This record gives sequence, structure tokens and C-alpha cells, in this order.
Amino acid sequence: MPNAISLSRSSTGTPTQRRFEPTQYARIAIVLALAAFALTTPGFLTEASLRSLLSAMSFVGCVAVGMTFITISGNIMSFSLGASLAASTIVFVATLPLGTWTSFTITLLFGAALNALQGWVIGYLRANPIIVSMAAFSLIIGIMSVITDGNGLYIMGTEAVIFKRNMGPVPGPLIAFLACAVVGQLILSFTNIGRTIMLSGSNPSALLAAGVEPWRSTTWAYSFAGMFTSVAAVLIASRYGSGDLLHGAGFEYSAISAVLVGGTMIQGGHGSVVRTVLGMLIIAILQAILVLRGFSTQYQHLTLGVVVLIVIVLQWKRSR
Amino acid sequence: MRSLWNNRTARPYLLLVIMIAVFSALGGDTVLTVATLRSVLQHFATLGPVALGLGLTILARNFDLSVAGVVGLAGCVAVLAGGTYPVVGVLAAVAIGAIFGIVQGTIIVRMNLSSIGVTLGGLLTATGLAYVATGNQEIRLANANIPPIMDDPLIGPMSLRFLVTLAMFAVAAIAVARTRAGRDLLAAGSDPKAALVAGVPVNRVIIIAFMLAGICTALGGALLSFSLAAASPLPLSNTLVPAAAAAIIGGVSLRGGRGNPLGIAGGVLVLSALQSCLTALRVEPFVQDIVTGGVLFLVGIMDGAELRRRLNDVYRRAGRGAFRRGAPSA
Repeated sequence: MPNAISLSRSSTGTPTQRRFEPTQYARIAIVLALAAFALTTPGFLTEASLRSLLSAMSFVGCVAVGMTFITISGNIMSFSLGASLAASTIVFVATLPLGTWTSFTITLLFGAALNALQGWVIGYLRANPIIVSMAAFSLIIGIMSVITDGNGLYIMGTEAVIFKRNMGPVPGPLIAFLACAVVGQLILSFTNIGRTIMLSGSNPSALLAAGVEPWRSTTWAYSFAGMFTSVAAVLIASRYGSGDLLHGAGFEYSAISAVLVGGTMIQGGHGSVVRTVLGMLIIAILQAILVLRGFSTQYQHLTLGVVVLIVIVLQWKRSR
Repeated sequence: MRSLWNNRTARPYLLLVIMIAVFSALGGDTVLTVATLRSVLQHFATLGPVALGLGLTILARNFDLSVAGVVGLAGCVAVLAGGTYPVVGVLAAVAIGAIFGIVQGTIIVRMNLSSIGVTLGGLLTATGLAYVATGNQEIRLANANIPPIMDDPLIGPMSLRFLVTLAMFAVAAIAVARTRAGRDLLAAGSDPKAALVAGVPVNRVIIIAFMLAGICTALGGALLSFSLAAASPLPLSNTLVPAAAAAIIGGVSLRGGRGNPLGIAGGVLVLSALQSCLTALRVEPFVQDIVTGGVLFLVGIMDGAELRRRLNDVYRRAGRGAFRRGAPSA
């Protein structure tokens, strides 16, 4: 993380090596306050509530890790990650007879290719990312509906059992989510591709001057996004035993919420996967508290919207 | 033909004519019926207001994602508040839409924030409010007389809902083409800095564009829920993609300042006709998704800032054989 931040900073002309800014202290304070509030909420620490909280968070979390790449690369958000997830669940279930890990690999490659294509169009032709991803949403859902004839596929064998397993008390999806987050952060901070993705968000002309074509990093950012989304697809397909176009509906909105609440700037070039994990945690804890304190589920939707709006408005101070 | 194609406003209508020709060749009498025409007009009344609202903000070089949330929220508010007096319901819905637009526009302008981010928050907030207002369930309109008033043919095949939408487009088209405010909107959208220098109150224009987007969308949502006699908080329904597609097929440039409501109306007609004709031919509904997505994808590519340069590169390489290009010029 420090590496990535200093890279984006130096490109804007104000090199800072500080690891924590005041806003980051504020964010940590908010997480601690939320945690304290959560711990005093009756029923929060019961195993069942914690486990359901963490599992539900993990599916969206993987997509959010992917979305982080798109946001950081300066392309705001993708509207097609939910559709990409749905298509990937079908690919996973359809290829499952080939073997667990073959199918897993194919699904990841499928997700990466599906989104890399969008990334290429967006980067190479400088097409509008919002329009391209909306179009991709329609195309993916439409084409997959024709292929599957609108029916879901069901897992018959036992090949996918490994993706349902929990490690003792720790839910399996949580482990996958944290693994995605670690891999994602490593890619972003310690690889050339990751650094160029960061730079393409903060200063594409500098990237061009450095001899890297920005469309390459855009394409990479989208393919990573697709890959992490497909991890979520594998988890969901295994958990629910089916590949269905209804899976993942609306996930892109939850994912971008987590990215923004974590403090990644919507203009791109500034942020990290760790922040997205924090953002996901904040949202999940908040929603769990609401449920446990007796508010009905509709208040979760409202809180999410208001929190995202507040976070966006707060970015104003930091963007100048 | 070519000059007609290059005219941004005429393009959707040309597309419409081509499409109708293709469909009548495919289906003949099963497609060209009064029932299809009525269904086109009803689809127009559903999609039109949202596309118009979104289009107005795109003209001002912004993008209002929240229309997809406001349309649902307005529908819920209209049904909740319009149980006895439908007019009260519509007014309440429109007021909510206007407030949403003003608040978002003000935040965007005053804090110099990206419209996508702010309206994403607005979209989620509007959807959340709809969930809270309805208690997370479908609410039904008590007065059963309202849906026929909305949907029964009033003049020829045109229903009240369609006429209201048509009026919205007419007012918007005249305002954009003939009034000072309309020219200010286009100026603010095409070059905000130059417009400011020329004396256009850019900030106010943008706030008003968002307010109008909220009003149009809310009115459309209210009339839709009256016509269905029910409203429910649809989770981030898929109105956004067709609305954006209609505005962009209608010749609105994503870079702002180019396009007009007449073109948007054409774009909405293209999508409505597509949907109705496919239904008349009993084609699976997914085909509509594919066509809409495909067209939007194509338009997105054609609008790409570097398309021309990349095509030039391809021609040059093809012309000179193994021509190797150095670092491209930005």
C-alpha cells in the first residue's frame, strides 16, 4: 500500500512518504467506533449472526476487489460485473464435469476475457466506460439467456463441494474473499501492471510519456476485475448449487459502494484493495447492527445510499 | 441519404423507418397493426420521460444515474399519496423528483464533484427511500378507476399517459431550440468555460438541468405506477440501460452540448418500436436485450475519442506493409 500511494502522489507533484493522513486516522476511528457499537449490540457476537454476516459480505467483497481495479484505473465503475458474475456461474456449472480445478480455471479465464474485451474497447478507442459497460450488461444477459434458454443449470455431482467447505468456524467464502484481497493488493502494489493501472488513473499522459500505452493497463484492470468477479461466481454457484442469470443482480452497486466507502477516489488513481476491504466491513457491520437492533431490511438499503452519498461528498475536501 | 444520416436529430427517425421496413418485410400483417402501434405508444410513455430526463443532463455534460431510482421512488410516492386524490399523488411525486434533482445538482456544482459519483449515491438513496416508504412490499392503488384513465385511448390510439409524455417532449424541444435557456444549456454542455466567459450562468443551468431531469422522471414514474395500479421498490431496475440507449441513439453526444429532445424522442421510438415489433413477432424477449446492448455498444465505439486515430493506424499499416509505429502522439 505505501508503495502504491507514493507512486500516485509523486505523479501529481507532491511527494509524500507519510503512511497515514488524518483522513485515514478518521476512517480507522470510524471502524473502531462501529466495532464498539457492534459489540454492545445484543446478539452480534453469536456465532450464527457473525457467520451469516461474513458469508454475505464475502460474495460481494470479491466483486468489490475487482471493481477497485476499474475505479483506480480511472474508469469510474463497471455496470456489467453483476452480469459477468451471472454468466460465470453458468460457465462454471456447465464445465464442472471436466473436473473441479479445470472448471475453476476456465471460469476465471472466461470472466477475465469477458471484461478484458470491454477494457480493450474502453482503453484502445477511449470509449465511454459507463456506456460500454451498460451495453455489455445487456449483451451478456441477452446472449446468455439465448444460450441457456432462460433456464438455470444445476450442479449434479460433488465436484464443487470443496468451494462450499468451511475451515472450522471460519466460513469458506471469507477465506476466498481475503485471498482475493491479498492477491489484488499484491498485484496493485508490487507488480508493474499494478503500478501502471494506478498511474493510468491518476495521470494517463504521464503513463504515455513513460512509454506505456494506457490502453494496456485499462485492459489489464478490467481483466483482473473479471477474474475476481468469477471467483465470486464460483463461490455462489457452489453454495447455491446452480448457475443462474439471477445470481449477482445488483452486485455492481454494492461493490462500488464498498469501494467508495473504503475511500478510493472515484476519479481514479488513488486507492487500494485494503481500503475496499475496510469499506466492505463498514457496510456489513452497519447493516448487521441495523438488523440486530430491530430495524427491518428496508433500512439497510436507505443507509447504504445515504452512507455512499456522504462519502462522495466528503471526497470533495480531499480532491483539492 | 448521407446528409440525413449525418444529421444527429434525423438519424433515429431514419433508423426507425429502416426498422419498420425490415419488420414489415419479416412479419407483414402481424406486425403492422393498430395493436402494435398502441403498444409502441405505451412503451414510449414508459421509457420517454426517463430518457428525456437523462438526456437533458447528458446535454449539460453530466450523467444522472439517479433517474433509475427516482422513477421507482416517484411511483411509490404517487401511489401512497394519491389514494384519494390522484393529482396530489402526482404533485408529491414531482416535488420529490425536483428536490432530488436540485440537491444533487447543487452538490455537484458547488463542490465540483463528478456527477456519476453523486448521482450513484442519489440512486441508492432514492431506492432506499422507496423501500422504506413502502415497507419493502408491493403497494396497490385503492382507486381502480385510475388505470383506465391513464391507458384508454383518448385521441386515436393515444392514451393520456402518452399525451403527457408527448407534451413533455414538445415543451423540452421548443425550449432547447428556441429559448435563451435552451441555448444556455447547450453552451454549458459543449464548453463550460467558454460559456461562463460568454455570460452563461453555468452552475445554475446545470442545477436546473438536474431539477428538470428529476421532474420528468418523477412524472413518468407516477403515471406508470397509476397505469399499473401498483408500485413496488424494484431493486435498481433496469430502466437505466434503455434510457441511456434511447438518449444516445437519439443523437445526444456523451461529451455534452450536442443533441436535442426531438432526437431523444426518436431514440425512444426506435427502442419502443423494436420492443413492440419483437413482441408482435413472438420473438423471445432476450433478443431485445441483445439488440439494445449491441446498438449501445456500437454507438459507444463510434463515440470513442480515439476511434479515428486507431482506424488511421490500421489503414496506414495495411498500406505500408510492416510499418512499425513508435510512441503514439497524444
